[in-house]
Amino acid sequence: MHHPTSTADLTALIRDAAARAQPLRLVARGTWLNGGAPVSTTAEPVHLDAFSGIIEYEPGDLTITVGAATTLAELEAVTAAHHQWCPLAPWGGDAGSVGATVATATAGPFAHALGLPRDLVLGLEYVDGTGKVLRPGGKVVKNVAGFDLTRLLTGSWGTLGAITRVSLRLRAHPATVETWAVAIDEAHAGDIVRGLRRSATPPDACEALDATLAVQLGLGAQSQLLVRLAGNAAFVAAARADLHSRGAAVAADASLWMRLREAPRAAVARAAMSPGVRALNDRVKRTFDPANILNPGIMG
Amino acid sequence: MTLADTLRAIVGETHVLVRPAELIVYESDGLPGYHRRPSLAVFPADADEALRVVRALAAEGVSFVPRGAGTGLSGGALADGTVLLGLQRMRKILEIDPVRRVARVEPGVVNVSLTKAAAPFSLHYAPDPSSQTACTLGGNLAENAGGPHCLKYGVTLNHVVGAVVALPDGEVVTLGDPHGTGDAAGYDLLGAFVGSEGCFGVALELTVKLTPNPERVVTLLADFTSINDAAETVSAIIAAGVLPAALEMMDQATIGAVESSIYAAGYPTDAAAILLVEVDGAAAGLDDDVQAVDRLCRAHGARDVRIATEPAARAKLWQGRKKAFGAMGRLAPHLVVQDAVVPRTKLTALLAQIAEIGGRHRVRVCNVFHAGDGNLHPNIAYDAGDADESARVHLAMKEIMQACIDAGGTITGEHGVGLDKLAYMDSLFTADTLDAMCRLRDVFDPERRANPGKVVPVRFCREQRPHKSAG
Repeated sequence: MHHPTSTADLTALIRDAAARAQPLRLVARGTWLNGGAPVSTTAEPVHLDAFSGIIEYEPGDLTITVGAATTLAELEAVTAAHHQWCPLAPWGGDAGSVGATVATATAGPFAHALGLPRDLVLGLEYVDGTGKVLRPGGKVVKNVAGFDLTRLLTGSWGTLGAITRVSLRLRAHPATVETWAVAIDEAHAGDIVRGLRRSATPPDACEALDATLAVQLGLGAQSQLLVRLAGNAAFVAAARADLHSRGAAVAADASLWMRLREAPRAAVARAAMSPGVRALNDRVKRTFDPANILNPGIMG
Repeated sequence: MTLADTLRAIVGETHVLVRPAELIVYESDGLPGYHRRPSLAVFPADADEALRVVRALAAEGVSFVPRGAGTGLSGGALADGTVLLGLQRMRKILEIDPVRRVARVEPGVVNVSLTKAAAPFSLHYAPDPSSQTACTLGGNLAENAGGPHCLKYGVTLNHVVGAVVALPDGEVVTLGDPHGTGDAAGYDLLGAFVGSEGCFGVALELTVKLTPNPERVVTLLADFTSINDAAETVSAIIAAGVLPAALEMMDQATIGAVESSIYAAGYPTDAAAILLVEVDGAAAGLDDDVQAVDRLCRAHGARDVRIATEPAARAKLWQGRKKAFGAMGRLAPHLVVQDAVVPRTKLTALLAQIAEIGGRHRVRVCNVFHAGDGNLHPNIAYDAGDADESARVHLAMKEIMQACIDAGGTITGEHGVGLDKLAYMDSLFTADTLDAMCRLRDVFDPERRANPGKVVPVRFCREQRPHKSAG
């Protein structure tokens, strides 16, 4: 077991593992989603929890830089004190780390309206498979300087580098927020979700729950639509009226969103790659982790 | 057969240019000051011809530079003695899918043409660079272009869902998820390709998101007698939780240039700065946001706030902003255009620093920028024929860029690095990070033939390792 406490430690450890061709398994909070494929059983765990804490937070900029192992719960608490939040809010709940959320590009219920991880990450610090400390991107909200290693790392499942720092975009809390549950016929769930998202007053989250999940969340035995309306008071009033015109909506507790995020989920589905795209992926991996030691096998 | 003959056989006699007099048009892009003449320019009509051209260039081992409308502001689309691959004939909108809200287009489609074509479905293409009446979607993809409305709607990266790409070796790959299946497949190579400035290959076809037209749009013009008051208003609006569609600022020098040009928009010429704020979205609640912006502007010292709701009145307010760079063209023969981004809370300090630097070097800086994003465009009009003035402009710009970097910002928010910002790259990134960027380019273009010499200074790119073998 390895427990690096600085990027210099991490560099030394990755260089050493590369020289020994020893696979490593990156761990921050140990809550990663099922990637659909196990990491090689001979991999030595590398605990990254030392890379934790708020590094820079200027609320007026609506951006924050944190150590990658910072929990989502800490990110939420620190930003909430300034009436701000990060819409990453991924499936799996708030026990996991910011770094793992970015590494796995795990979205959540707010992604459709407020952005996927790739849309929210501004910059990174990470150590690649050759032991180099890299700092692509930045901490400002708009940045096209250089080739986009930040997007490349987002969703790379720790196979191209161990992320140590993340800069993120934040949002101000909306003035008014309401959560509603609407009993629905599961067969029409897709149409109802589409209809709501295309209304003049779209919700900022809208998830269809099957009957099993509805029971788990204490919403009764019928399929439900969980809807979050957010905006100024007049907007939310209009959105509420629109929602009521579509079905019998019942006011629900905001804590349901966390319980929904924490509910168990299926393994990540992976689409087949064309030979050309597969070749590019292989080249990327060979370029940034030539010894094939970082989370080998996890992407299938 | 010469290369020109080979290419003529693919695209036809009239679509290959070799004579210096014809090539002179392609010596510059939207940024005056750089001149690089291509050896030849070739203009394919469609994806099939473009691919055959790329393969012919690969067979000869010839370098090339893809180019859209040439409106770029970084010298990125200049070919220095190499082949210029012009894509502006490829301007077909292949499909508009109003149900999935996406469009499939060729790379030469002009940005605003897509918005016009989507209008019958009450949809539009959201990223709106100021050059949107001329620039192409392929160029937007290459530069990860922005625009005023990116504050709320995001930049090109957030709106491209797929691209069919010809790699420089002639292989064709589909990146991203153009069909919207939603499944993850490997690394985010589309994310890496967007903004790669023509160095990773040529997009033959793009699939982009279309955005519903807002129910209502209101544009506010607030004028200030102090530039600090204007800058502080920007932070106050964002902090209040209002997310305007656009939040733009122009200083007195820019207002003067616009108002004495044919693009005059009725801006108050005695104002130290104006803010142009657009609020859009659902009709419900919009007035409350407009009132909040109005109130915040006045509370921070705005002398007057004009509110435009009718399309003609709004378009007039916007005209001056969108044509500001053009209007500056009247001030002097040359213009340096910068594109730095700073954290929003540093705007006030940076504007003061820019004014101090400009004053010290006796150059006239015009600021017109995306204030809501902290994306500054400090521009300097000058005469490149005047060696002393040119030297002062150069020094001033270097200091301005360093000030932005020191404030925690970046050297380009939407224009790209190209040639113009190469010199600043090692102030922003470590040598290892620059080398990693080169290695990413080598994944797509191991022979380094696509837009060579741009984005990352060559001295930071280690010798490449043999790459071509296995898989």
